[in-house]
Amino acid sequence: MTAAAFLPWLTVAMVLVAAVQIGRRVILWRGGGPAAVDWRAGLTALPRRYLVDVHHVVDRDRSASRMHVPTAGGLVLACGLLVLGLVPAIAASRLYFALVALAFLTMAAGVFLEARRRYPRALPRLSLGRWQRLPVYLGVFALGGFATALLAALGNPLPALSFLTFFAAAAAGLALAGTAATGPMRHALAGAAHLVAHPRPARFEGGRSTDLAPLDLDAAKLGAETPADFGWNRLLGFDACVQCGRCEAACPAFAAGQPLSPKHLVADLAAAAGGGHARPYAGMPYPNQRPTGGAAGLHAAVISPEGLVHPDTLWSCTTCRACVEECPMMIEHVDAIVDLRRFQTLELGAVPSKAEEPLENLRGCDEPNGRRLSERTDFAAGLSLPRIAETGEADVVLWLGQAAFDLRGQRTLKALIRTLHAAGVDFAVLGEEERDCGDLARRLGDEATFQRLAAANIEALSRHRFRRILTADPHALHVIRNEYPALGGSYDVVHHTAFLAELVAAGRLAPAALAGRAVTYHDPCYLGRYNGEVEAPRALLDALGLERREMARSGKRSMCCGGGGGAPSADIPGDTRIPDIRMDQAKTTGARIVAVACPQCTAMLEGVTGERPEVRDVAELVWEALEAGGAAATARAKELEPA
Amino acid sequence: MIANAEALLKPLTIKGVTFRNRVMSTSHAPSYGKDGKPQQRYQLYHEEKAKGGIGLTMFGGSSSVSVDSPAAPWNQISVADDSVVPFFREFSERIHRHGARLMVQLTHMGRRTKWDTEHWLPVKSASVTREPASRAIAKALEQEEIDRIVADFSAAAKRCREGGLDGCEISAAHGHLVDQFWSPNSNHRTDKYGGSLENRMRFGIEVLTAMREAVGDDYLIGMRMSGDEMLKGGLSHEDCVAIAVEYTSRGLVDFLNVVGGQARDHIAHAICLPNMSFPVAPFLPLPSAIKREVDVPIFHAQRVTDLATGARAVAEGHVDMIAMTRAHIADPHLVKKLSEGRADDIRQCVGAGYCIDRIYVGGDALCIQNAATGREATMPHVIAKASAAKTAVVVGGGVGGLEAARVLAERGHKVTLFEKSGRLGGQVNVAAKATWREALSGIPRWLAGQVQKLGVDVRLNTEAGEAEIAALSPDIVVVATGGLPQRGEAKGFEHAVTTWDVLEGRSDPSGTVLLYDEIGGHNAASTAEVLAKKGCLVELVTHDRMIGEEIGPTNQPVHLRELYKLGVLMTPNSELIEIYPEGNRLIAAIRNTMTDAEEERVVDAVVVDYGTVPVDDLHFALKERSKNKGLTDLQAMIAGRPQPFEANGAGAAAGYTLYRIGDAVAGRNIHAAIYDALRLCKDL
Repeated sequence: MTAAAFLPWLTVAMVLVAAVQIGRRVILWRGGGPAAVDWRAGLTALPRRYLVDVHHVVDRDRSASRMHVPTAGGLVLACGLLVLGLVPAIAASRLYFALVALAFLTMAAGVFLEARRRYPRALPRLSLGRWQRLPVYLGVFALGGFATALLAALGNPLPALSFLTFFAAAAAGLALAGTAATGPMRHALAGAAHLVAHPRPARFEGGRSTDLAPLDLDAAKLGAETPADFGWNRLLGFDACVQCGRCEAACPAFAAGQPLSPKHLVADLAAAAGGGHARPYAGMPYPNQRPTGGAAGLHAAVISPEGLVHPDTLWSCTTCRACVEECPMMIEHVDAIVDLRRFQTLELGAVPSKAEEPLENLRGCDEPNGRRLSERTDFAAGLSLPRIAETGEADVVLWLGQAAFDLRGQRTLKALIRTLHAAGVDFAVLGEEERDCGDLARRLGDEATFQRLAAANIEALSRHRFRRILTADPHALHVIRNEYPALGGSYDVVHHTAFLAELVAAGRLAPAALAGRAVTYHDPCYLGRYNGEVEAPRALLDALGLERREMARSGKRSMCCGGGGGAPSADIPGDTRIPDIRMDQAKTTGARIVAVACPQCTAMLEGVTGERPEVRDVAELVWEALEAGGAAATARAKELEPA
Repeated sequence: MIANAEALLKPLTIKGVTFRNRVMSTSHAPSYGKDGKPQQRYQLYHEEKAKGGIGLTMFGGSSSVSVDSPAAPWNQISVADDSVVPFFREFSERIHRHGARLMVQLTHMGRRTKWDTEHWLPVKSASVTREPASRAIAKALEQEEIDRIVADFSAAAKRCREGGLDGCEISAAHGHLVDQFWSPNSNHRTDKYGGSLENRMRFGIEVLTAMREAVGDDYLIGMRMSGDEMLKGGLSHEDCVAIAVEYTSRGLVDFLNVVGGQARDHIAHAICLPNMSFPVAPFLPLPSAIKREVDVPIFHAQRVTDLATGARAVAEGHVDMIAMTRAHIADPHLVKKLSEGRADDIRQCVGAGYCIDRIYVGGDALCIQNAATGREATMPHVIAKASAAKTAVVVGGGVGGLEAARVLAERGHKVTLFEKSGRLGGQVNVAAKATWREALSGIPRWLAGQVQKLGVDVRLNTEAGEAEIAALSPDIVVVATGGLPQRGEAKGFEHAVTTWDVLEGRSDPSGTVLLYDEIGGHNAASTAEVLAKKGCLVELVTHDRMIGEEIGPTNQPVHLRELYKLGVLMTPNSELIEIYPEGNRLIAAIRNTMTDAEEERVVDAVVVDYGTVPVDDLHFALKERSKNKGLTDLQAMIAGRPQPFEANGAGAAAGYTLYRIGDAVAGRNIHAAIYDALRLCKDL
């Protein structure tokens, strides 16, 4: 018997050991909540989800894809070939072992590239500990396997050495298999299973799925308190994490020194589910980490003085989805955070103190600052702003949103209203019938208030005849377009940048060129990442003749202004402020104007002190160009209120 | 952002007419009327406020409804016949275009006007009385005349409605005919219009009832009235409240526009148009007290110069609308700037009263600091960018130089401003040292803030010589080096010090001081006040017929009040002819200009104000090498054309153009310096 002949049996042993380990994990996942999974569709879609969707994300970091393709490919190929080696006729072939050696060599090459990412110094976002040791195990396994197979292919000239190399491979391979439930290699099977049973199957194949699922308000427990309260496939998702830290590098709260790292949080959630099996976390700590307990377990509260995660971590999130966008394992961090927030808010009333007032106001006044709904149109007195209740119907309902109560937001809305008049758009507003869209309540975990507001808005909208809803607020756009359908209201909702781009393209607006000025566009998260709209605002800016300069982070990979998810209400302190960081990025472009397309972004970026570019909504720039083009007079004539 | 801004920006709806915010401008008489009509200049002046975001602008203060209330004295509006209606239509369309509302004030002036003008008709009143301010003796109205004037009011109201105005108010304040009937001071009748308050109120009730019948219940009619005449024998606060309650409870008026005081003589007039010596909003308690008793919206004006004060008045519920009339003369874009988050850019009224003072001496209303107001046809409130950016040097950081630097920077030019001293503001810094004149410092403060914001390179403590200017190789040089005080030509003038010396502390006289004034402006009067407050025994001697002859009627009485209180001896019609020392004192010889009688005074100091002489050395040093020989083409400037040497595009290589503005040309005033700068630089 040659040493190489044992390689297939080693493979079998590794698979068996790993299966036992993973089995323990499967039992754990089954402790999670129910989840509807279309297994057949998931399994059918797996290769494409892996090779296209996952690879698309992995490949953004070239060193990662270069490392992973040969490592994983070599490993799977070698093991696959070795299973064939159980057939004696095949095992007798030297050519066969040459192929096995080649597979192992491929893997070794990948492991070498992986090691380069970690030695002599690991990339800061990567976790150390077991993750740092992983290339050693993989390397020993790959090189041991390679040497053993190569010696077999050469006719076994050095039997003693081949046994030595085999034992090295076996030791490393079995060590990896033995930690398949808790160690780094968990990602392989959990990751694949996660792709099959993903909680958001619609996000694959170019689709987008960013809406939060409605909560059954009659359920015995609202939101997630313990790991067991998450759907089982969510627990599976946490286990898929490879701790690559891309989420952490993209996280605005982490950058600002707030105590949140999406990577750490997902690792904590995975560890919490595993209870006593938790291993120490070897990534960067939460910035300005708050003291926490260490109690873990499938049925132990995650956010509690004894739990693994501090509430400040939970409330630091802006729900910007940068982490989700960057995650190669397709983990849904924001869903987990909102589920945890729902329990805190609905079951415990434990919202950050500064968020209590807006929530109280939303509950009592349908508006986060307690303003009267009838005051929403106050800013437009003197402009013609038709109410749909008076006009009966309109082509477009203009959803004003929270900006109508804010002096700065009003400037954007006035520019937009004037522009709509200039283009002769048939539009109207809901007036008093418009309530807060519910975004803030929902992101702060108050699902009950969200559902109540949404139902009231849907009821109000149902009273009128219109074709589309237009809004300058991406948050309103998102909830009305993507989250109201689950509650019975489906609408054609368009963002003002897309709408104005349509008008310009159709020749209904003739803006003059605002040449000679450089502008950089800041993508709102809820427009770009949540709704995929990154082209229209840019097309508009180009149509205005502005010199457009891109920030390093833009489009779907843009950085948050810090204004989403109720984060400004929660106001968790950090080292600096998110908008300051973002404004610094804008400054490096040298542009004198930061173009924005969201009232939250406007408020956050305008709050940056000191010398900085001017913050202008795209609508304001469009109106300025129209005024320069002489459209103002026409608009004013149309604005004239009937005497 | 100011506190309570949201209260100010909240719309107000009266009888279905929505005002977009709570900021308004009250009816006043800027003397822009032409042939009794609000024509282009008048309309553009108000249109600028409408563009600037105001909720309601009211024009035509004291617009007359009858031929025996002449519109001529302040070039005002006559609503006494239908020929005004087309102008109203044009006007209201112009204002409505910007989302603002427009109203007019209607009145019969009664005895508060002149008989020797327009139709030469005797003035009319409730009784045969004389008003000190107008010095006219009235004819008592007969019943037929009362009926005719009531009908005139009703016809005028109809013209307002036909003209598309959003409403009108009648003036029953400042001693017009309606309140001449109200006041026991001017109403001595024994018929149904005199005697009890009920009877005295009758005429106004008849006027408003007739107007209401003419225009219908849905048309806005208001009334301007005093909340307390603050006059012995006049209407008390209780009387005013009773009148307000009676008129509103009858449904005659839709709003009340409440002021404090009256205007029967000079000091009363100055108090009801409070200048910078008053605190802001001094009479706010009066509208507040009336608001408590009635259920119609209350408007109020009187030295509300800043938005924060206005916002507080509205937010605390004292008034429903706050009138910032003079504040809009200083900056018609007040509300726009607030809502654009640019409240810091608001040019705030300093309360100099220059605007109103001018109209009482036959001039047109002009703002001491904003030279574009009232000149909208030719002067921009928002400066347009020049087609090409040039390099400009401004020498002198007084208000003229600051305005030049501001306008040139707004034009997009690269501007360097040299100021010899360590502080911007020039002569205004000197004037502001004199007691209540301190508020003048607001003028350079705003300009300095704008100049800094626009990125002008301000070089303080730097005297500009030819070399410093050449080093910048400018296309444009503006010399605004101002003037320095002169000591006059009286024999022995070297023994005199100037008002500047006193205010700047170089001279600190004590004992007896003779202050001689040949300018008749604020300088001598305010310096006299400073000296008297320091304990000096002051005699203010002037060549003019009276003290402060050039000071307008809302300011001069305040000076006189202070000087009388301080025991300053006032000697007009006298000329200083000689000063000579005697022992450790001085003898000042003065001559009565009417009798030629000479008198001597033994004093410890002689302080003089002869105005300034230009500081023009630099100008003449630069003149020869300049392209235009330092001359401004006056025809081009007046016509608003670019200056001839600016159009050739030769740029710095061909040398610079040189202009001289403000007191560096000839000693004048703040407005002259700022206007010099604006009208020149807007086309450079």
